Amino acid sequence: MPMGLIVAALVFLLAVLGLAAPLVLFVGSAPRARKLAMALILAAVAAGSMAGGAGFFGKTNSVLDFSLAAPFRFSLAVDPLSAFFLLLTCGVAIPVTLFAGSYFERHQSEARRRWTWAFFSWFLLSMIVVITAATGFAFLAGWELMTLVSAGLVLIEGDAEERRHNVFIYLVMMHVGAAAVAAAFFFFLPFSHSLDLDALRAAGRALPAGIRVVIFLTAFAGFGTKAGLIPLHLWLPRAHPIAPSPVSALMSGIMLKTAVYGFVRFAFDLLGGGPWWCGYAVLAVAAVTGVLGIFYALAEDDLKRLLAYSSVENIGIIFLGLGAALVFAAHHAAAGATLALVAALLHAWNHAFFKSLLFLGSGAISHSTHSVNLNELGGLQRRMPLTGAAVLVGCCSIAGLPLTNGFVSEWLIFRSFLAGSSLMATKAQVILPLMVGVLGLMGGLAAACFVKAYGTAFLGRPRSAGAEHAEEAPVGMRTGLALLAAGCLLPGIAPGIVLRPLVALAGVLVPGAVVPEETTSIARVIPLVAAIVAGVSLILFLLRGRTTRPARTWACGLPGLSSRMQYTSTTFSKPIRFVFNRVYRPDRRIEQLPLDTPYFPVSISYRSVRTTSFEKSLYRPVVDRIVWMAQGLRRMQTGNIQIYLLYIFLALVSLLALLRFEQ
Amino acid sequence: MTVALNLAQVALLVLGAPLVRGIIARWKARLQRRRGASIWRPYADLFKLLRKEELVPPTASAVFRAAPVVLFAATVCAAAFVPVVQPAALLASGGDFILLTYVLVVARFFLSLGALDGGSAFGGMGASREALVSSLAEAPFLLGLTAVAILARHADLAGIVAWTLDQSIFNVSAVHILAFTSLAMVTLAETGRMPVDNPTTHLELTMIHEGMVLEYSGPSLALVEWAAAVKLHVMLALLVALFCPWGMAAVAGGWGISAALLLYIMKLLALMALVALIESAVAKLRMYLVPDFLGVASAVSALAVIFTVLVKR
Repeated sequence: MPMGLIVAALVFLLAVLGLAAPLVLFVGSAPRARKLAMALILAAVAAGSMAGGAGFFGKTNSVLDFSLAAPFRFSLAVDPLSAFFLLLTCGVAIPVTLFAGSYFERHQSEARRRWTWAFFSWFLLSMIVVITAATGFAFLAGWELMTLVSAGLVLIEGDAEERRHNVFIYLVMMHVGAAAVAAAFFFFLPFSHSLDLDALRAAGRALPAGIRVVIFLTAFAGFGTKAGLIPLHLWLPRAHPIAPSPVSALMSGIMLKTAVYGFVRFAFDLLGGGPWWCGYAVLAVAAVTGVLGIFYALAEDDLKRLLAYSSVENIGIIFLGLGAALVFAAHHAAAGATLALVAALLHAWNHAFFKSLLFLGSGAISHSTHSVNLNELGGLQRRMPLTGAAVLVGCCSIAGLPLTNGFVSEWLIFRSFLAGSSLMATKAQVILPLMVGVLGLMGGLAAACFVKAYGTAFLGRPRSAGAEHAEEAPVGMRTGLALLAAGCLLPGIAPGIVLRPLVALAGVLVPGAVVPEETTSIARVIPLVAAIVAGVSLILFLLRGRTTRPARTWACGLPGLSSRMQYTSTTFSKPIRFVFNRVYRPDRRIEQLPLDTPYFPVSISYRSVRTTSFEKSLYRPVVDRIVWMAQGLRRMQTGNIQIYLLYIFLALVSLLALLRFEQ
Repeated sequence: MTVALNLAQVALLVLGAPLVRGIIARWKARLQRRRGASIWRPYADLFKLLRKEELVPPTASAVFRAAPVVLFAATVCAAAFVPVVQPAALLASGGDFILLTYVLVVARFFLSLGALDGGSAFGGMGASREALVSSLAEAPFLLGLTAVAILARHADLAGIVAWTLDQSIFNVSAVHILAFTSLAMVTLAETGRMPVDNPTTHLELTMIHEGMVLEYSGPSLALVEWAAAVKLHVMLALLVALFCPWGMAAVAGGWGISAALLLYIMKLLALMALVALIESAVAKLRMYLVPDFLGVASAVSALAVIFTVLVKR
């Protein structure tokens, strides 16, 4: 695909997502217009993935300049890094849009559907602008649009008190993060005199050490907020679960990746590596994020909240890879840096696929059973076999089991930690190999977490009437799920297809890169493992008898098992919650009535709230302080017009005085 | 020739596994002054189960019957990683210890799913406890192997074994002692042995692995039991290969292989005696003390990794 075509595809993408699709929605008659809009969006993202694929596999640079039409310099460019994320965004958007077409038709009132579709389209547009932005202004505009449109998509679902509170927290944290990102751009200004990424890149190599550290840290904090690094993750488990499932899939699958993109762009491309300790700092934050994220995920009973916390964990894994890459880069070990960077980018890619798959799966579940509470599900595999199979693939991938894509990226991260032992510095020799244990702990807990998620939702007996009468999801939803499941399995069995171009991409970002031998050895051994497992399974299937007799499970002498005798999601995680009580610090309240007869209670209510410790110990004091200051300032607002006139007069006088002294 | 030998190693690990169980059970019985069953008893059990009718809970899905197959296939795949009589195996040079660990995770993952699909209280209980034990066992297992791999400068088992063969048997480093300790502890936990789990119990307060397989019967149960035996054999063979590979046949010749096989059997018997002794001498830990047990294993393996820096120079 020549450069001209990439630009053309990009123009088509922007025009359709930004204008055509929303326009069709508001002009045409409702159901047909929505079909047309969906087809347009699909065509646009298909064009986008072709452009991304061409840029990614073909290693070309294309630029699309809008500066004449905008008040600031606004241009988009597709270099290999952008192309990788463009391909990812558009590639995942295709199945999500297919799913959404079926989902929105059933889950939203007629009046809201066209707005949902319009916002959906703009949401995709904003993310594409962010990852292809070639100027700081384009980047920040896309960044802000992304926040606002996604908040809008969450609010379209309803505006209950709690939802508004969650969206408020989301918006506040996103804007704090956006402020940090903007600051990271502006710190370049004295040295680059322009916010074009090319100018920043040129300036980045010659920055003074102090300003370099400041830029690195503000960018880390800003993108870390968007990515959901602990302790900046507070918004993530609040905002992701309450969005409609296809939107949750986009938010977790792709929107978080824009933060990864931004961080990679800043740390590797613009700055060309940070100070020597930055890799260790990233590793430390990522390790805490990953371990706590999966601990919190394990304790959740709401499937969508569980998935949201698991996103926190996976962001931790991605940043573990990025941190390792920074450590290697600081020690000028190009092979290790390439390996770790490839691993992190591949995990970002994989997470987009399996997390979208799982969020869409939760959408299919809520469509069929009207619940995403694991304690009300069960037995769905028999009732929705295809959805179940797809979600099982997603669960295997996210747990990092071999023959799925999740394993390949986690394996590469493991191997990059192991490669750390050959570095010259003792710090790196100790810390990087020890990270193997941290990632191993995360892997073990993730396996437990997704055994729980799949096992309680799809296996055993149904725990509620909704689950009992569940039916298979409609065709549109199943198509989306099947496509994403294929996207998880294919790179898992043949990792070479993604790895080869990724190594080339990392070669652009890491100076003096070489092809790490790990990336070729994994591509050789995985098909062998697949052959052995498939061969043995096949032989066993053929040898084993077909005849089985259904027999009721023995219920220890009781008349029969009921679904209430099964382990639930809550009980499944109980041993881990009990052992790691210090991590969770649950806030428990037991109320018993009446109070005077403790042995003969009429009613007992029990409430346990977890994962509030960050709110209590970190955010609450800050928020209290801000509210206190705001209360103080409130005294100025009397509502008395004379006082306001006085303010205006005083402002005028002080300005005049200031001007006088200036001269 | 090499391929045939590699396949023979896998066959040895898979087919010999029930015997390992039988011998340990027999020795345990002797230590407890019982006569004990024949060491061939596990084979008879498997044969009997394979011919029996299979009962399936009416509420179970396809996962229930697929899980034992995947479990067994993954365990056989893990067996293909471990060098036994020569410093090579089917997957020993292509795959590394991380892949081996995760292939074993596949087995565990599907066994837990099968347990949950039974729909009874016991399956869920077993799976929940297994989740606690295995999720905490993974880190020390990986760290212990990491320490050895760093010293050998190879991540693949063939490379590690070849490096160890070059070392003097009397020149044992602290790293190896620590790594062996942690890996041996993890082996006990992973294979459902005392003091973590009791392989002979059927008491709901204590069981982990037995709770998970309670709903299985007939050929499926045979696969589950056989896979558990293979896993035990693989873990013991892994300990032998990593920490005491001396005697392995470097070149494939009739006499060398026979001698290596004989030596392997003797080393394995020694480890089995150790397992039998521990199982008879140590009481089972309370469920909530198991994390402490694995915590010690994790700390020891982390120390092993840290000490590699000192030993390497």
